Amino acid sequence: MTKKEKFELVENFIVENREAHYRLAYSYVRNKENALDIVQESIFKALKSIDRLEEITYLKTWFYRILVNTSIDFIRKHQRMTVMDDDILSMHLPQAEDEIIDMDLHDAIDQLAPYDKTLIILRFFEDLKIDEIATVMNDNINTIKSRLYRILNKLRIKVGEDFKV
Amino acid sequence: MKDMNKLKKDYEEIEIPNELENVVKESIRQAKAPQKKRSFLKQWSIGAAAAAALFVGSINVSSTFAQAMVNVPVLGSIVEVFTVQNLTLDEDTYQADLSAPAINGLENEGLQTSLNKKYIEENKELYKQFEKEVEEMKKAGNGHMGISTGYEVKTDTDQLLSIARYVENTIGSSSTTMKYDTIDKQKNIVITLPSLFKDNAYIDVISSYIASEMKRQMAEDEEITYFLAEESESGFESIQPDQNFYITADHKLVISFDDYEVAPGFMGVVTFEIPSSILGNLLVSDTYIN
Repeated sequence: MTKKEKFELVENFIVENREAHYRLAYSYVRNKENALDIVQESIFKALKSIDRLEEITYLKTWFYRILVNTSIDFIRKHQRMTVMDDDILSMHLPQAEDEIIDMDLHDAIDQLAPYDKTLIILRFFEDLKIDEIATVMNDNINTIKSRLYRILNKLRIKVGEDFKV
Repeated sequence: MKDMNKLKKDYEEIEIPNELENVVKESIRQAKAPQKKRSFLKQWSIGAAAAAALFVGSINVSSTFAQAMVNVPVLGSIVEVFTVQNLTLDEDTYQADLSAPAINGLENEGLQTSLNKKYIEENKELYKQFEKEVEEMKKAGNGHMGISTGYEVKTDTDQLLSIARYVENTIGSSSTTMKYDTIDKQKNIVITLPSLFKDNAYIDVISSYIASEMKRQMAEDEEITYFLAEESESGFESIQPDQNFYITADHKLVISFDDYEVAPGFMGVVTFEIPSSILGNLLVSDTYIN
């Protein structure tokens, strides 16, 4: 594969999966502008370091890793800046329409530490395999597995038939 | 008990903003663009480096030549920089404001003309590209987009002139790229980074200084972030042989990185002043840096 073909493959992957990438970034920051910033920065980093992607089969985990690192970096840097929660904000704004605030998602996922949040999202929402997650997080498979069990337990989330850790 | 199916559904319902597609495409374009420019710049600076090497060589080899140079009058005070070209576009959500510098008074008119021409050509090219992007964006349903370019005289002494030119692209968030030219006004040459040093050893010395400086700054202030090689995939490992630089009026070397090159976007363009003491033995001479 020539360098140009590789670049095109990565480029297509980024364009095609942009919504999944945006959702992942959004889950960390819960605000549109910051999520877009993270997506933008991740694309930049990925395309600038494309030479480090040795095998195209690793494209997905490689990109997720950059995206996750960029997101976690971002939160670490902006810890002091708290984005006002939508429901607090809505109390101060004129009521437009009744909004059903989903307490499940707010409570369960948002309260998690970034690392744990990443595991849940990648495994259950983005449907990555355990070994793929291990590659993204640079940890071994058993650590990821036991960590996932512990989080689910802690959150008391009911995992349906369709899901397996 | 919460249900994972329900949580997944919530996740999938995270609203996708209309801007996403454009942000993604623009990021890809920007990631591509500087590489092309770099190769152009590289070509150009190899020529300048060769000229500089020839010049330094001539001084060392021929005492007559060195003598002749001593007699060249000092031109420092009459070299000036001013704005020659202004391209603007102002339509509701599309703004462009491009200005190019011009140098006047250099003794070497060939050099002066080629620099000035380069500045104007680059600006024109940026403007054309911007117009094209505006057209594309109009077709895709409108959006916001802006570009501005300009310059700053970083150093202006009897001996040296350093000009920094910036290009700031705004789409969603903004990113800035810088280019510098440092000119020896007395000898009428463009100074390149490699031409300052005896050999390539400077790359490692400067890189390791910058890496340690990054760590020091990050430890001191948690608001500061750099991409370090040991921490992230695309972290800083080494400067380019022709990394952006300029020289200050008090003879210090300053290395500059564009947005995103070594740090997240919010850090902007970052610069490092390199202590002259660590460069001492590597320099061809202490004329510019000491």
